[in-house]
Amino acid sequence: MTALRSGGAAAGRSGARRLISDVVLLVVAVVWLGPYAWMTITSLKTLPEITRAPAYPLPQAIQLGAYREVLQAVPVMRYFANTVLMATAIALLQIALALPAGYALAKLRFVGRNAAFVLVLSCLLIPAQVTFVPVFTMLGAAGLVNTFAALILPFGVSALGTFLVRQALLSVPDEIIEAARMDGAGELRIIYLILGPMLRPTLSALFLFSFVFHYNDYFWPLVMTTDDQVRTLPLAIALLREQGTGVRWHLVMAGNVLLSLPVLLVFAAAQRQLLRAVTARV
Amino acid sequence: MSGRARGAARSGASAACSRRDALRALAASIAAAASGATGCARRAPDGRIEASLWFAYGGKNREVLLSLIDQFHREQDRYRIDAVYQGDYFEALAKLRTALAARAAPALTHVVGEVVPYLAEAGVLEPLDRFLGAPGAGHADLDVVEALGQAGTFVGGGERPLVCLPFNRSTPIAYYNRDVFRELGLSPPSTWDELRAAAARLVVRDGVGTRRWGFECPIDWWFWAALVGQAGGELLGPDGAPAFGGEAGVRALRFWQTLVHEDRTMKPPPGRDYNAWQVTNTDFLSGRVAMIWTSTAFLRYLEENAGQAGAGKFEVGAAPLPRDVRSSVPTGGTMFVMPRGAAPAAQEAAFAFLRWMMQPSQANAWATRTGYMPVSRRGLEELTRSGYYAAHPNDRVAVDQLAHAAPWPWSPDLFRVQREAVQPRLEEAVLAQRDAAETLSEAVRVARER
Amino acid sequence: MKPRHPSSPYLLLLPTAAFLAVFFLVPLLLAARNSFYAWDLLTPPRYVGLRNYEVLAGSGELMGTLLRTLGYSAVVVTLSGSLGLALAVALDRPGPVYAFVRGAVFSAYVVSWVAVALLWMWILDADGVFSAALRGLGLPTMSWLGDPRSALLALAAVSVWKITGYAMVIFLAGLQDIPRALHEAAALDGAGPWRRFRHVTWPLLRPSAAFVATTSLILSFQAFDVIRVMTQGGPVRSTTLFVYAIYEHVFVNLRVGRASAMIVIFFGFLLLLTVLQLWALRAGAPREGRRPS
Repeated sequence: MTALRSGGAAAGRSGARRLISDVVLLVVAVVWLGPYAWMTITSLKTLPEITRAPAYPLPQAIQLGAYREVLQAVPVMRYFANTVLMATAIALLQIALALPAGYALAKLRFVGRNAAFVLVLSCLLIPAQVTFVPVFTMLGAAGLVNTFAALILPFGVSALGTFLVRQALLSVPDEIIEAARMDGAGELRIIYLILGPMLRPTLSALFLFSFVFHYNDYFWPLVMTTDDQVRTLPLAIALLREQGTGVRWHLVMAGNVLLSLPVLLVFAAAQRQLLRAVTARV
Repeated sequence: MSGRARGAARSGASAACSRRDALRALAASIAAAASGATGCARRAPDGRIEASLWFAYGGKNREVLLSLIDQFHREQDRYRIDAVYQGDYFEALAKLRTALAARAAPALTHVVGEVVPYLAEAGVLEPLDRFLGAPGAGHADLDVVEALGQAGTFVGGGERPLVCLPFNRSTPIAYYNRDVFRELGLSPPSTWDELRAAAARLVVRDGVGTRRWGFECPIDWWFWAALVGQAGGELLGPDGAPAFGGEAGVRALRFWQTLVHEDRTMKPPPGRDYNAWQVTNTDFLSGRVAMIWTSTAFLRYLEENAGQAGAGKFEVGAAPLPRDVRSSVPTGGTMFVMPRGAAPAAQEAAFAFLRWMMQPSQANAWATRTGYMPVSRRGLEELTRSGYYAAHPNDRVAVDQLAHAAPWPWSPDLFRVQREAVQPRLEEAVLAQRDAAETLSEAVRVARER
Repeated sequence: MKPRHPSSPYLLLLPTAAFLAVFFLVPLLLAARNSFYAWDLLTPPRYVGLRNYEVLAGSGELMGTLLRTLGYSAVVVTLSGSLGLALAVALDRPGPVYAFVRGAVFSAYVVSWVAVALLWMWILDADGVFSAALRGLGLPTMSWLGDPRSALLALAAVSVWKITGYAMVIFLAGLQDIPRALHEAAALDGAGPWRRFRHVTWPLLRPSAAFVATTSLILSFQAFDVIRVMTQGGPVRSTTLFVYAIYEHVFVNLRVGRASAMIVIFFGFLLLLTVLQLWALRAGAPREGRRPS
């Protein structure tokens, strides 16, 4: 967890202050870690245990029955594969499109450059929730609803991505590009093969951020898919909360663990890159 | 707006339509070209003709449906039904509508009864007559219980082309905690007044709180419709315009308000739609309420879970809903429909499955394992003959109650009116305590505006 | 730099422009057109002029939805912002324990809204662990998500839990940019911790604060998942916020035209917020041209 580095001074603290900060630490940890713990604990219980004493802190015995049942009821692996495929494709597409656009905006002088930059930024602050009805009918008319195309294409351009790439390119010296041009490299070659590798930290940050965001997305797949072939994991987990009869919370929480664990692992492994994108630091 | 402008606007609209139609035609041809599209009949690897069935159950009902589908696959080798879960009724309906708009609807699905007129009038349902063989033969071969089929579910439903077949049909019934009733010497109430009195006897207060409520019922359109019928009202006027029972509608709403706010014997379950239904069930099972109204659908679930060993174990009783000026219950649950646009082969498979499901043994298996009502007439006779109802008096209640089933008006607006005009206002009137008459006249106003 | 060919910048921007046009501009125009029709997706649209807007404004629906959305946003933005700032200041210390707790707080931002919503539904359930804890302390409890008075606040609280980590991280980044020497100088001058915060830290964190405020404002305006999963807009519309209202019009009430009118209005508000954000970014301008940290 080195990325959330800290520069604060630790010098000369009195015992009382130390106590206060320990208490704060504890409260914060409970508030933010408690729910995860509760999720995991519930997923290890059985239904009768939960109905009898919903708030009892510990499971009688560690039961993996809930996980078995979820894996049986829902093709979790397929949904997971769908989700990863979709999120990866979106992230790659965004990078592929952000590089030339960012390059033009950062490095080339042309009429309307500022206007284009502002347009990209402002246009893309429009959320999917504003455009989904017409996009849905358009995709429907093109026969693309319920396909990966419908899940991926609408997110091909990312404002954040274009912005980050542009910012990163601003600090790349022009000489590098000039030298490459001298060697006869074309613009696309310069963009993808010379600048691309140089921007690796930024691009991996962008990739991770976009991946996590779309892995988690619920709204768009909800509207655009009806079919097991393309359905994504968050949808399937939300559907576990079956209504009418009592919710089988142990199943829902087991599904929740299955849904969250991959993202938390990615986060633990690559916190630094992720934060770079979140804080827009390049 | 001037007449000319209006004319121009109209022609603009029609131009937009024809453009959209052209796009659709284009889309349809693209979809036809791409062999993987949903609209096309798929052949399973084993050579069977496949049809997809979108369904909206979780839990126990899902298990029973899937096991029936397995049985269907074992009993014949021509067709395969590919069942896909689409969330609860409302979510599944949203999916169905978007899929219809995108020309990607399944060959078979099921929808709540109230939405059938809308879909039928929009022309998106396949008339089922043409699968039935000889024209004019009617629906005889399916032999469904009249009150649960299209003919009995909708006013004038029998005269229209057949577009739906009953699947999981239900009525609301009252469930009571037999142990508590026995202890207090109460019998299930048969009138509104008796209900009020029984609820008052059943309630157990605990300081300012309530340890046990007398009555609980989701603040939902379905139960309100039951109350309106019992109070002698009709939901739509003779001209098909929303009336919401007029005075009877107000009385129905006031009845709830009295129980909740004046007597404080009824718990209005929190949450919306099926969240509230679920709370009602769990409150009943945990002994926090002694009497509830909910669907027959939960009969098995409630019986099984109330009977489980544990501190709260009790015996579940079922009773018909009480009367006011008359006995009346709406029917509920869903109908099978075949959306337009599936490939003929898929439709053939879908209808084969439908027909199979309507047979007495399947219909009865579904009913007795879930608590929904048997939809096959011969099946129902068989159950009666074999002494099933003598052994399961709770199951009998809903069947007997069918004598008082009130058909829904055949109105394409029925569903919209329910979701948009009535449902949120019922919650408002009961939970936020708004005047009943004012709330309903507002609902009528909203419902009439198109 | 001078482009190699005068048209090359435009060609390089073309793919981006094409995607923008197809997935943002055209849909927006289509929505604007649809807002003059009554349409249910299935039967042919009917031209109704400004009727959709009139009904939205006249019935009080627009005002109600807008006020609820603004109320929710106000609570979420202020609480997550101030909590994030407090946590950033409190947790800005070296050591693995602090790093771990910072990671824990931020992790909520990374996990999906669906998971968070389902989890908190269970925690806030009438029989759930939160109510049990309150009862254990002898405090009254209620159906947090089922009561129209508390449902929106409960959703706001869950959202605060989810995005506080985001605010914290931005503030932490801001804190790291404050030269240690400034603090030391102020300490030498005899300034206590509060005065040091007030006069040294806060002024330098202002750009971060503006950034946090505008981004989380836009984020909170778009709230959908949490409502869809936890309350479906109820009870009694108390949690029907803007985006959910649009969704409900399309998929439940079968009114695409009315939904489109709401979309047009919603877009107007977003535009306003966007202008606000661009302005704040420029005012803050904290990142331009800095080296990687």
